[in-house]
This record gives sequence, C-alpha cells and structure tokens, in this order.
Amino acid sequence: MIQLRDVRVVVPAPRQGDPDRVLLDDVNLDLGERRIAVIGANGSGKSTLLRLLNGLRTVTSGQVLVDGLDADKDGKAVRQKVGFIFTDPLAQLLMSTPVEDIELSLRGRIRDRKQRTARAHALLEERGIGHVAHQSIYDLSGGERQLVALTSVLSIEPAIVVADEPTTLLDLRNKLMLRRVFAELEQQVIFSTHDLDVALDAQRVIVVDGGRIIADGEPRETVDFYARAMADAVRA
Amino acid sequence: MSAHTSILGVFEPGDGWLFRTPVGMKYLLLLALALPPIFIFSWWATLAALVLVLVALLSSGLGVRKIFNFGTYIWFFLALLTVYQLIGFRLEAAFVTPGNMLLAILAARMLTLTTSTADLLDALTRGLQVLKYVRINPDGVALMVALMLRSIPFLAGSIEDARAAARARGKERNLALLLTPAVVNAVAYAQRTGEALHARGLPEDG
Repeated sequence: MIQLRDVRVVVPAPRQGDPDRVLLDDVNLDLGERRIAVIGANGSGKSTLLRLLNGLRTVTSGQVLVDGLDADKDGKAVRQKVGFIFTDPLAQLLMSTPVEDIELSLRGRIRDRKQRTARAHALLEERGIGHVAHQSIYDLSGGERQLVALTSVLSIEPAIVVADEPTTLLDLRNKLMLRRVFAELEQQVIFSTHDLDVALDAQRVIVVDGGRIIADGEPRETVDFYARAMADAVRA
Repeated sequence: MSAHTSILGVFEPGDGWLFRTPVGMKYLLLLALALPPIFIFSWWATLAALVLVLVALLSSGLGVRKIFNFGTYIWFFLALLTVYQLIGFRLEAAFVTPGNMLLAILAARMLTLTTSTADLLDALTRGLQVLKYVRINPDGVALMVALMLRSIPFLAGSIEDARAAARARGKERNLALLLTPAVVNAVAYAQRTGEALHARGLPEDG
C-alpha cells in the first residue's frame, strides 16, 4: 500500500522574482488497487506524482509512505519495493546489451558471476526475448527495449511496478503486447498514460490537472469525465 | 550498426583464445600493444603493433567486418589526419599518427569485443579493492568506469546525429549548430543516467 499525505512539490522559478512553480499540491491518496492509471494533460503533474513513489523525486512538504516506509528517509528500501519504468527505455538501460543490463540489476543479489548470467538469460527467456540477449540495445525495436527495461526492473522482484507512460513511444502492436504483459504481472502496477483505452485496463483512474487531483474513481466514469473536461478546455 | 554502438563494439560470446583470457591479462595486452608505439613514434613500431593486434583479433575468431566496423566518421577522421600530415610533407607522421589512433581503437576493441561488461565490472571491482582503505566503494568506481565506456558510443552517436540535423538544414559547417545539441544531449544523457541509477538503487546495492 502506498500512501501520500498532504504532498506538495514546489520548484524554484527559473527567473528571480517570479513565483515558485507548484508541481503538486494537496495530494492525499491511498493506492491499494492492483492496477491504477494516472491520466492528465502534459505538464499536469503525472510524472512528478509517479516519481515520488520510488523516491526519484522528493516532496517539498508532506509524506510518501510505501508499506509504512518513508520514500525520502528509507529510499534504499523503498526502491527495492518499487520498480520504476521510464517512458523511453533507452534512458533506463544502462548497459550495451540486454543480458548485461539485467546482470547489472542482479549484482547486488547474486554475487556469483555464472549464476548471475544464467539468471539474466532465464529472465529474458521467460519474457520471450532470449534471442536478443546479446544484441545492442540500440538495435532492438521499441517493444523489445521496453520489455528489456521491464525485465530489468522485475529482476529485483519489486512488489510494486510504477511506469511513466510506458506505451507512449510504441506502435500499436507493441502497445497491445505490453498491455498484455502488464495485465499478467503479479505485482501492483501504477502507470500514467495519455491513451484512454490503456487507462481503462486499470481498476482505478486518477486525473491530475495543474498539480491537483481533480478526479479519482471507477475507470469508465473517470475517463469520461476527463475526456469531457479536455473537450471543454479546447472549446473554451 | 549505428554510431551509437560501433566505436567499442558489442560483446558477443565466442570461444576464441581472447574470450578465454582473463580480463587482467587482456588489460595488460592492450597496454603492451597500444602504448609503446606512442612513445617510439616510428612507422615500424606502429605497423608491428597493428599487425599483432589484428593477428590477436583474427585468431580469436573475430571477422574482419566485426573488427573494422566502427563507423565511417572514425575513418573520415583518420583520413583527415593523414591528409593534414601529408600537406606538411611529414610522411612518417602521416602513417604513425592515424596508425596509432587506429591501433588504440583496435586494442580497445580487443578488450570490449571479447569481454562482457559484467566481466569488466567484476575485474575492476577486484582490482580496485584497495580503494576500500580510503573509504571509496570499489563497486561504485567500477560502475562509473562501465558507464563511461557506455557513454562514449552514445556521445559519438550524438555528434553524428547533430551533424545529420545540421546537414538537413544545409548548415553542416556551422560549428555552433554541431556542438550545441551535442553538449545539450550529453548533459541530458548524464541526467537520465543518474535517474536510471537512482531508480535501481545503484550503486549502493551493488
């Protein structure tokens, strides 16, 4: 269970004299459902909200608790519980090939080199991408890269997977494939998306606008509310 | 293969003798072959070292295409160096200067094409254990070196991308248009890498 209590995130204005920029304000959430989607316009605060959950960003005031652990104070323990998937897998993959990248994630858990390599290969095989183990990450398709990034995150066996717009850079085939993979995960998955169909895969949808939670509830109803709000904003 | 991957190449498992040689020995071999010609600065030293590196690579089962596939811009730069020296009638330097550079690249590829990053990390971590006495985490330093190696092809690719973008606008001779996006990309890359490390809890978990 993730809990956000009176969370506020503020960044200094780029120019002196301008007011500070509020990225999130007055956020109070209990995130317990197995699949939660976060939707909202560009710059609404979705990514900031998700980054708080794994300690990638810290709160200005308030508290983020992951199974009772403070994301700011117990960052290391929180990151072992919460895996994070970036929009662009190239930003996430640190090594040249998939197998090396997964081995890097496993370094802290498996000290024996041969066991580590074998485990990395096994994980890639489980995901159906064993054939790309030694290919350069730059030579993989977008879908394969995102699967490698996911495999790398899952290798540390997190209880929660947070994904920041994981399908944004994917074509339709890879998007459908990733949706299926996400649906099959045992972990709790919290993801942001601009694709309202993908949002409907969740059990709960949260709408962020201007750094505030403006809707939170059952997927169909919340997505319809958001679509209407956006249509109204365009007409205005 | 894109410039992003080509300078140091990508390791693929093999069974040649270089693949079986311990990483430390390969480091020493790399230094033994690449360093002397720089100090001797004579055509025969460069030629001899080049021949030895090529023999080592070929006898380990690496194909000519794999050995020399490190991007056209490197070949372009080597040609530029040769022409520059020839214009000054420095005939020996026209061979030795680009030759030593080619030698350094091939010697580095001798290591990177036959050693996985995981092996490099393990070897570095072992070799840097002495740093523990000055309270520096050897794992962290080894990871830093591995990331540095990974960043070289990225930065080279970034410069090539910037050049392509400048060419598309007909301004490939504008140095600012070439360097500005490359520098911005480098900073963004460093930031993204930091975030990716942080997200995985590295290096403190390592």
